[in-house]
Amino acid sequence: MIPEIGHYALVLALALAILQTVLPIWGARAGDEALMRVGPPLAIAFAGFVILSFAALVAVYVQSDFSVVNVVENSHSMKPLLYKITGTWGNHEGSMLLWVLVLALFGGTVALFGSNLPSRLKANVIGVQGSIGVAFLLFILLTSNPFLRMVPAPAEGRDLNPILQDIGLAIHPPLLYLGYVGFSVTFAFAIAALIDGRIDAAWARWVRPWALAAWAFLTVGIAMGSYWAYYELGWGGWWFWDPVENASLMPWFAGTALIHSAVVMEKRDALKVWTILLAILAFSLSLLGTFLVRSGVLTSVHAFATDPTRGVFILAILVAFIGGSLALFAWRAPLLRQGGIFAPVSREGALVLNNLLLTASAAAVLVGTLYPLALEAFNGEKITVGPPYFNVTVGALMLPVAFAMPFGPLLAWKRGDLVGVGQRLMAAFALALVAAGVVAVATEGGPVLAPFGIGLAAFVILGAVTDLAERAGLGRVSPGTMLARLRGLPRAAYGTMLAHAGIGICLLGIVAETSWSSERIIGAKPGDAFPVGGFELRLERLEPRTGPNYRDVAAVFSVRRGGVEEGTVESSKRIFTARNMPTTEAGIRTFGFSQLYVSVGDELPGGGIGVRAYYKPLVTLIWLGAVVMALGGALSLSDRRLRVGAPKPARRKQPAALPAAAE
Amino acid sequence: MLLWTAFALMTGAAILAVLWPLRARAVGPAAPDAAADLAVYRDQLSEIERDRASGLIGEAEGEAARTEIARRMLRAADETAPVPDGSDTRRRAAAVVALVGVPLIAGGLYLALGSPELEGQPLAARLDARPEQADIAVLLRKVEGHLESNPDDGRGHEVVAPIYYRLGRVDDAARAWSNAIRLLGPNAARETGLGEALTAAAGGVVTADARQAFARAVAADPDSVKARYYLGLAAEQDGRKDEAGAIWGKLAADSPPDAPWLPTVRAGLERVGAPLPPVAAPAMPGPGAADVAAARDMTPEQRATMIRGMVEGLAQRLAQNGDDLDGWLRLVRAWSVLGEADKAKAAAGDARRHFADDAKATGRIDALTQELGLGS
Amino acid sequence: MTRKGRRLVLIGSALGVLAIAAGLMLYALTDTIVFFRSPSEIAAEHPAPGTRLRLGGLVKQGSVEKQDDAHIRFVVTDGGADVRVGYTGLLPDLFREGQGVVAEGQLLPDGSFRADSVLAKHDEKYMPKEVADALKKQGVWKEGEGVQ
Repeated sequence: MIPEIGHYALVLALALAILQTVLPIWGARAGDEALMRVGPPLAIAFAGFVILSFAALVAVYVQSDFSVVNVVENSHSMKPLLYKITGTWGNHEGSMLLWVLVLALFGGTVALFGSNLPSRLKANVIGVQGSIGVAFLLFILLTSNPFLRMVPAPAEGRDLNPILQDIGLAIHPPLLYLGYVGFSVTFAFAIAALIDGRIDAAWARWVRPWALAAWAFLTVGIAMGSYWAYYELGWGGWWFWDPVENASLMPWFAGTALIHSAVVMEKRDALKVWTILLAILAFSLSLLGTFLVRSGVLTSVHAFATDPTRGVFILAILVAFIGGSLALFAWRAPLLRQGGIFAPVSREGALVLNNLLLTASAAAVLVGTLYPLALEAFNGEKITVGPPYFNVTVGALMLPVAFAMPFGPLLAWKRGDLVGVGQRLMAAFALALVAAGVVAVATEGGPVLAPFGIGLAAFVILGAVTDLAERAGLGRVSPGTMLARLRGLPRAAYGTMLAHAGIGICLLGIVAETSWSSERIIGAKPGDAFPVGGFELRLERLEPRTGPNYRDVAAVFSVRRGGVEEGTVESSKRIFTARNMPTTEAGIRTFGFSQLYVSVGDELPGGGIGVRAYYKPLVTLIWLGAVVMALGGALSLSDRRLRVGAPKPARRKQPAALPAAAE
Repeated sequence: MLLWTAFALMTGAAILAVLWPLRARAVGPAAPDAAADLAVYRDQLSEIERDRASGLIGEAEGEAARTEIARRMLRAADETAPVPDGSDTRRRAAAVVALVGVPLIAGGLYLALGSPELEGQPLAARLDARPEQADIAVLLRKVEGHLESNPDDGRGHEVVAPIYYRLGRVDDAARAWSNAIRLLGPNAARETGLGEALTAAAGGVVTADARQAFARAVAADPDSVKARYYLGLAAEQDGRKDEAGAIWGKLAADSPPDAPWLPTVRAGLERVGAPLPPVAAPAMPGPGAADVAAARDMTPEQRATMIRGMVEGLAQRLAQNGDDLDGWLRLVRAWSVLGEADKAKAAAGDARRHFADDAKATGRIDALTQELGLGS
Repeated sequence: MTRKGRRLVLIGSALGVLAIAAGLMLYALTDTIVFFRSPSEIAAEHPAPGTRLRLGGLVKQGSVEKQDDAHIRFVVTDGGADVRVGYTGLLPDLFREGQGVVAEGQLLPDGSFRADSVLAKHDEKYMPKEVADALKKQGVWKEGEGVQ
């Protein structure tokens, strides 16, 4: 009964999504308040039925109900409970349902907390969200239905893939989806504005929390995916420029641009058309990412041949939403009123530069990802666009972004004073130079560009701190006033600082890891010792062991640094008995922000074992930086001013001691 | 019945979600759209005020920003759309759409896609079911459960091994056979089963492990036909055609003239170009003694034509009445032996369609195609 | 500056950035594209030594030699031709004889291939698309056949 309840709930959700698309937008066109008011309850009911349906699928997985095809294909009764649950979305059909679940949750949130929105805008937003729901539910029900049944039911499922039994892999798709689908809300706002032909600075303030939330989730999701690949694949790499990773990076670039241009729009009523375009782009790239990640449809043109209905359906969704929204944009955008003006050197100007470079980066990644597909479709030639392409293009485009980043927040709106800002950044710049110098001396003979990279990273971090210090009035007011000012600063200001500093931290990790990692590949026998990155590793023993559903051979290494014992690290080759499938468990030891990374390979003829050992200085900063960025986003989100549905400014408390002017 | 009640309740809830906000008295006076905009701008004004007070922006800048926001406020007030009203006609139309549309769309799609007649079948419940109601797959599961707690029950392994093999779970079959050998000691049947499973697992290639198993089987029982056949196959796959010919030649010579495996052996001999043994007795149903006698005097071409004729006769018979599983298996094997892999595959496909509802039968078909290296 | 002038500056700098970005992409693309080749294609085309390639095919049965210094030699075949491959490092978990593999690296003057990375298929069902295509071309592998 449970699978059929889930199935019916999904069908009902489709019916509601159709009404959710039609009624509120009709109401908004006709100016009918009653119809517009149908939107929020519909969105909430839609969410309710999708939740019910998803819960039913999870239940079916937990019960190992092998009368459901999807469970047979993707589960196994011997899986631990946790992985039975996460297995629900570890496959194409389930992940699509998860996607719709996230969509429904976002839609429900808009309906619940959107009481501060003008009714027409809200009705249109909910309507557009409904249309996305219709498309995806039709796709699920007609081509990727997780509730199809099987008679007679087999007694066992087919999948016990050990690589997929990993908590990182289980959490990372939902996080990415929270990011991807979060942009559906900003997309809906953009389309709603275009339908209505009316957009103003207030619109940007309503959109910003959604953009920020989506962006923060996406940031964490990307970082998590990267860390998963790092420890699970056993190669010590943290970014492969693989289509799946690129798919998540593109909406991130567009989303980053979006949260910045929305600020300009909110404060200055400018860049309106551009912001709308970015909102459309961010979601379009998210759609692309969704299909790249799970269905694998876009990784090869051949996939269309093997499953034409699914491929054509996906193509139709992409064309309808991307093409349709861009067409609507081309038609309606010129009708929007022009916004405020600003000088090239100004906060707006800096943000425009940031936007241009970010979108260019997204475009570069898009070209590199899709070019092989296009070429193969065109003349059958198979190529790969390697990491060097992405490193060169994205690197070259992001360097100026990083360098300009400290300047942006310090520039005034409308017309900025570049020289003045430069002076205020002098301290940060000088310190960054010192850092670069120290690094250059300390690592003489290493990569020449590395000290510059470190200097740049330091400049970004110190620049973020400078911005905060400037706002507090460092050096101009008394410490007590400063503290009061710091306390009075909006949380968004801290959010900006954290997010920018996070970029610097991440950059620091990237530069250090790529410049000074040491790697060693050898064949070692028990008793052999070898140096790597200032450590001495000694293969103590090879230890066969038996786990609950696997056997493994663990290589235990003792770690010494400068003659001092630092404990052990072990890596193992594991064989999952059910499928006779080997995996490598990398051994990782963290020292400060740096990591020692060991993975073992096959046993060698002479009784030894292949060993790959790395020392990766400051590598954890890469992911910590991303987490700091996301925290910045979350902090901005918690800003009173952006709080969705919050009543008018409640308090305008000014510390009485605050002098009116320090100048 | 319970299911349909649940569906009805769910449908009712869905319709209610539309009707509730549409009910006549739900519509109060609407707040003008501008109110929301104005709230934001007022907030922005207070923010400017705060920034100016804390000295973050200068007096002049603050003033400019204030004018700008004031201008926005004026514009927002100007642009205010006429306060929307409700129309009873539209409202009724929407209600009708919901009342009719929701059950129609949901019911229609569900009847097309869903399987309301199927109960949920949680694994635990199936395992608890009484034996006479349990399906084969579940019975197998029970044996597996038993073996998990009594891994040293060699008889149990020996019982499940051929079942696994027939279900196409050849890796499991190989493991079960080797467990049986470990626990009960080797004999020809077990070693042959192991070798066969290993071969099937390798996609029809007699691997070194499989060859050793067959060799042990032959050592234990020199009359072990299957093991000898596979040893020949191993030799052929390794390119030692003479050896293959010798093994198969001897096997054919040792076999009774109506042995069912002879066609397979003969096909092998033909492949490696070894001399065919004098007696040919195709294992087709029907060839009477006269046919066999006639076949003896035929040239190889004539013989092939005759065999082919018989196979085609079998195919026709099965096309009319496809309930004979053994017939199908013979047909698949025969086509394969005649080197007609495509026809063999087609026959296997037809057979699978006939027995689509019979897991045991499809298991045997799969096992056979696997054995013959026909893929699926 | 007039409103129009500012707009021009804005559009001009946007176009400038885009032009630079486009130039970068073109430059980087010509330099970093790696072609996929099967052993038969290499045998037929004789690419110049030193060319970076992705070589795909099946690991030939019985061809894998492991040395104690973690150097590995194996042969990649597509049924039509063989290429010897040398690699120092750890092989992926799913690297097996008779299974699909993609190696990226350079062709050496003696016709062998020095790989700097070796990829095996990611899970049991997955065969690298390029490899499958190349094998189909050679008739070694057919759709749906047991490459389990």
